[in-house]
Formats: sequence, C-alpha cells, structure tokens
Amino acid sequence: MSVTDTVGPTAGPPRTINAGGQSAPPPPPRRSRGLNVGQRRKLRTGLLFISPWIIGVLIFIIYPVVYSIALSFTRYSGMEAPTWVGIQNYVTAFTDPMVGKAASNTIFYAIIAVPLGLLIALALAIAMNQNVREVAWYRTIFYAPSLIPAFAMSFIFIVFLNPQFGVFNQVLNLFGGANVNLLGDPTGVKIAIILMAQLGAGNAALIFLAGLRNIPKTIYEAARVDGASPLRQFFAITFPLLSPVLLFNLITGISGSLQVFTEAFIVTNGTGDPDAGALFYMMYLYKNAFGFAELGYASALAVILFLVGLALALLVYWLSRRFVNYDVEAG
Amino acid sequence: MLQRRQLLQGAAFAAVGGLGAAGCAGAGPSGPHAVRYWGMGAADTDKDEAARDAFLQTAAGRDAQVSIDQVPSSGSADMSQIITAVRGGTAPDVWWMDRFNAVQNASIGLLEPVDPLIEEFEGVSREEFTQQWLQFSLDELTYDGQLYGLPTSTDARGLLYNENVLKDAGVDLDLFDPGQHVITWDELREVARTVVHQDSRGNYDRLGFAPWADQGMPYTWAFGLGAEVYDNDATRVVLDSPQWQSVYNLYADWAEEFSYSKVDAFFATYQPPNAPPTQNAVFSEKLAITTGGPWQISGNKKYAPKLPLKWTWLPVAKDGDPTYTWSGGFSLVLPKGSNLSRTTWEFMKHFTGFAGQSIVVPKLGSLPTNLEAITAQKYDPDAELFRQMLPNSTSRPPLPVGSAVSDAMDRAKTSVALGTKSPREVAEETQAMVVPKMDLFPGYRIPESYGKPQKIPDSR
Repeated sequence: MSVTDTVGPTAGPPRTINAGGQSAPPPPPRRSRGLNVGQRRKLRTGLLFISPWIIGVLIFIIYPVVYSIALSFTRYSGMEAPTWVGIQNYVTAFTDPMVGKAASNTIFYAIIAVPLGLLIALALAIAMNQNVREVAWYRTIFYAPSLIPAFAMSFIFIVFLNPQFGVFNQVLNLFGGANVNLLGDPTGVKIAIILMAQLGAGNAALIFLAGLRNIPKTIYEAARVDGASPLRQFFAITFPLLSPVLLFNLITGISGSLQVFTEAFIVTNGTGDPDAGALFYMMYLYKNAFGFAELGYASALAVILFLVGLALALLVYWLSRRFVNYDVEAG
Repeated sequence: MLQRRQLLQGAAFAAVGGLGAAGCAGAGPSGPHAVRYWGMGAADTDKDEAARDAFLQTAAGRDAQVSIDQVPSSGSADMSQIITAVRGGTAPDVWWMDRFNAVQNASIGLLEPVDPLIEEFEGVSREEFTQQWLQFSLDELTYDGQLYGLPTSTDARGLLYNENVLKDAGVDLDLFDPGQHVITWDELREVARTVVHQDSRGNYDRLGFAPWADQGMPYTWAFGLGAEVYDNDATRVVLDSPQWQSVYNLYADWAEEFSYSKVDAFFATYQPPNAPPTQNAVFSEKLAITTGGPWQISGNKKYAPKLPLKWTWLPVAKDGDPTYTWSGGFSLVLPKGSNLSRTTWEFMKHFTGFAGQSIVVPKLGSLPTNLEAITAQKYDPDAELFRQMLPNSTSRPPLPVGSAVSDAMDRAKTSVALGTKSPREVAEETQAMVVPKMDLFPGYRIPESYGKPQKIPDSR
C-alpha cells in the first residue's frame, strides 16, 4: 500500500512514500492536454507582440538563407532566371586556387586575431573593473575606440602606416630603419588588419566586464584570507568563473573573423592585393557576387562559410565542456 | 495632454507619409518624353548637364524631360547598384557605362541591344548607322552579334615625363621626343638608372620609372609584346602563352633592379592611394616618367601649370618596332527596363553623336569616338599625340569575363613584381582562374573586326 504525501508547501512535485516510509521515484508528469482558453489568448497576444520580430526574422534571415542555399546549386547572374547546375559550384569552389588563398588568409587572420582580441579585451575588462574613483573615465576611454566605424579606422591606419608621415615609420626611423610600406607587403597587410581589429576590443571587454562583476566578492575575500596571491586568484577564481563569458566571446570572435571584410576592402581599395595577401574569404565572395556577377557561385561560397562556421562553433562547444564552469551565482 | 489614440494616429500618418515620400523620391519625370539618365558621376555633373541642355535645344529634345542622377559605385566593375535598380524596377533609361563592362553586362542580360532601335527609328542598316564611330569602340559594345550601346569617349596610353627631372639627371631629352624617336625598353631602363636617387636610409626619394605603376597594367605591355587573351579560332583563352610570360617577366626583371617594396614605399609616400589630385609624384618632381593618358592633361595644366610635362610613345622592344597602345572609354547603354522610347533614343544618339561629343569630350580631356568630331578636332589640342595613336589602337578584348581577366592579371602583376611567383606560375594561374569562367560561354567569338587597324581621318 502506498500513499501520496506532499512535503511542504514549496517542496516541489509530490513524492510517493511506500509502506516502509521510503521514497519511491515520482511518476512521470502528466502530459498537458493543451492550452485552455485563457492561455491560448495569452499566447496569441504574446505572438502578436513579437510578430514584428518573427516577420523580420522570416523575411530578412530565414528567407535569404534558404534562397542562398537554393541559389548555390544554380548559375545566376542576378538578372536572368537561375539555371540548375547541381553541385558544380561546390566542385569549382574546391578547385579554385583563389578560394584556397582566401581561406588561408582568413585562417591566418582568425588564428592570430581571435586569441589576441580575447587577451586584449580581458586586459581592458580588468582595467575597467578596478576599484578607483576615476573608473568611469577609464571605461569611457577604453571603450571609445570601439565606437569608431571600421571604415574610418581603416583610413586612420592608412595614415598611421604611411611610409613618410606615419607614426609607425617615424618610430622605425628613430632606430635607423628604412621606410616600409606595411600595406604593400602580403603578410604586412594582414598583420596591419589584425592590429586594426584590436581597436574594436572594447565590445568584448564590456561582456568580460559584466562577467567579472558577476563573480562573488566573497570568493576573493576567502582566497585572500587563505593567502592567495593576485595571480593565483586570477587563475584559480577569475579565469574559471569567467569561462562562460570567454566561450561566448570566443564563438562570436571566430564568427566575426571568418567574415572580416570592411578593413581589408578599404585598405586594399577592394583588390585584396598585394599578391592577394589581404584577399579574405568574404572579399572573394563579394567579388564573385558583384564584380563577376556569379551569384550562384558566391552563394555556394557563402554556404561553405556557414557550414565551416557552424562546425567551428560546435567544436568549440564540445571542447568547452572541458573548460567552461557554470557554477558561479551572482554575488 | 496627448491621448494615446491621437498619438497612434499621428504615428500612423507620419509612417504612411514617410513611406509615400520615400516611394516618390528619385522617381523622376514620367511620360512618353521622359528620360531618366544615370550620369558620369558627381564630379562630372556639369558635362552631363551641358550635353542634356544641348539636346533640349534640338527639335527632337524640345518636349523631353531629362533627369540626371549620379549614382555612386564602389568601382567601375561593381554592378550591384544597377542590377538592384533593374531588378527593383527603377532602372534608368540611359546609363553612362565603362565600355569595358559592356560585353559582360550584355552576357548576363543587364542591357538591351540597340539594333531594334536603329531599325525602328533610323530606317538604315546597323552597319550604315554606326559608320560614324571608331570600329574598336563598337567592337567593345558587341556581344553575340548585337550592339549594346553607343560609344562616347575614348583615350590611349603613352608615357608622361617631366623634362625638369630628366634634365637634372642629365638625360638626353631627344630620347623622348615623339617626333624623333620611340624609346626602347633598354633605353628606358638606362634612364631609370640615371634618375633614381636614394636618401641616407636607403629610401627612394627620386624615381625614374616603374612599369607596374599607374597605367602600367599587363594589358598595356601585352599589346606591345603580342600577347593575346583569346584565340578566336580555338575559342579559348590563352593567358598562359609565352607572350604573356614575357609580359610578366618584364615586371620581374625590372623589380630585380628596382625593388618592388622600395618602389611601393616611394609611391605610398609621394602618391598614396586616394590622395588628392595635387599629391602626385610627378607634380612633386619626385617621379620622372609614368604611364598615363590624355584624361590627365587637364589635371596637369590645373595643378602643375608651370611644369614641363610632356608625352611620348610607349616603349618598344627594339628600334624600329611599331608603336602600340590601347584605348578604353565610355558609352551610353540601355539597361533592362529602359523605356526604349524615341525620346530616349534621340537623347542617346545626340549625346554620342558629333554634337554631344563636341561638348563632352573636350571637357573630359579624352578623345572622341565620333569620326567627324575627330576630324573637327573636338578635343584638347594637347592630346594630339594620342589622336595619332588611334589608327594602331584597339580596345581590350571584349569578353564576357572581362572583370575576372583584369582582376587575375593585376594580381599576377604584383606577385611577379614582389617575387613570390615566377612569370610562368602566374601565367598558368591566371589561365586556370579564367578558363572555368569562360567555359560558361562555349563557342564565344570576338567580333572579326577586333584588333584590325582602322584608317582615321586627320584632324583639320
């Protein structure tokens, strides 16, 4: 014989207690038989309120994505009706030497720019989190470069790297070096664009800052009482408890690095030269779409990029199980 | 206090009004005599307006309403604006377009052929009607046997040199006198050696010549070295021929003596990209010789009126070799969606004919494509040498993959100049890049008249 007993008013679902007084596993929850009239009305109202968002996503995200996937199997100039070519565009993409070049440039960029960006953003966040009176000023100053649009930043960098007037060459000259045009070298131009991207680290830094402020102060106090040094506190407390934020910034950083475009387009006048050194994947995609009127091929390139981005995100998620710690509660 | 209902009503009216205003914006005039024209660009609006005003004075233009829009583009090969306009049903009736893009744009169905309009409004054959223009400018507008526009201006390429810099370096100026001599590559190299100067840190602070700078693109030297892009008989691109390798070898060879990175630093210093027109290495007397064309003449006069800047032929391989050059230029075309009305046709015909070119070409600093305008010397007299180049000139080959060819060649140029690839490698790579794109046009043929010399009447 068994009875059902509710333990406490807020103790959760009812427990089944058998004759021996031991808890038995609770029965599976009963399936909802549907929504009642009031709930349906609330659902309708809710959907109505978010309908602009739903419509926007359907029109501006879902439809273009589906249409791009369909176009990737066609030859399409943007003018005449698309012609079905099967997987030909994908075959071409894997044999096109410029796709390989553009992909390797993008990987080069991602491998350096993403970790560097995370480090700089974390350093900025720690600086923004200091308990000093002028912290509001520091936060503004550190974040300000992120407000400069990419195209304006690109022009600033062109002047900064000018062989005659640029600060970079002035410093080189102090050490007796000859003038160099970093933007005229296939590797130099990539490095310049990587450095340029770091001026936008303020956005990631804000997210790190929010994460830092979410770590309970009591943990640090306990660590200090135990005699932990600031470095030890960083690696034993800050870094593990910041790992969910790190994961977010890592994924958005990878996604952004795969789509690098504006800076390279402006710095190289849209060519991606010298020697295709700054021809990033998105630039090559853009060239094919709007320079060569091959929208079908460009769509195939976009689908490949999407799949690579998705695969990398899944890989990072899988790896994150080893380093991400979700145990922290707001303190 | 404003009630919520009033606020919502007000917002709704404002939204509807805004949408209406946005919808009307840029619509321009309508009706049988309306012509919507996308012009040369904001900096050249005065030329467009002068040509338009002249047309409105004619009998054909008396009732016309011609609206001019200047639509910016991120490059002459970027067709996103016009494709968007055509697909959105807001295409102009007439569009000023770089002729080099004509065949590519015709091949994707962006343009309307003009043959039916010639037949309908002129009542003569196309051959008879088009006799008034340079043949190469028509070839560049011909795709699949049909003509896709009418040519406006043209140009040619030559060497621009500054006598002051050459004299200072002790160079014999007779080498550059176009009436006496056509300079050879060896002579040009020797002049460059004489002129070049480095500062204490090893930076070039005076340069003779760089074959990859300005108009020194592979096409330019290809015409002198017999390198062809397309074999009409075999209907295939031939960008990996030995002649093309010799074009790229020219860059590699030059860069061995004059390091690309140092030359690049020189140009980034004295003539950076997107610099104002006054910041020019020739004007600052840092650069002795460069490759250019007649469109620069007005700028030379405006920004460096006291400098002795002169023009001569492009360098040849050896004494006695024929001179060579190539010509680009613009056209008026009819995008898909054009109203194709008689008024539109008359506007286009007037603009590209003797009357329109007589107004526009001298202002642009280019050369006419209209033979009568050439004879009547409707161009800057200082561009006379370029006019003399026209009989041996032609356009770049009209191909439906012109942008891709140009893009691949420019990249090949910097690769060999930097020394990252050999001339043979870049020629093969260029071929490999273009062949799959050209394969989409099996059996394509360039017009038979392409590349054949044309007799051009002397100017009066």
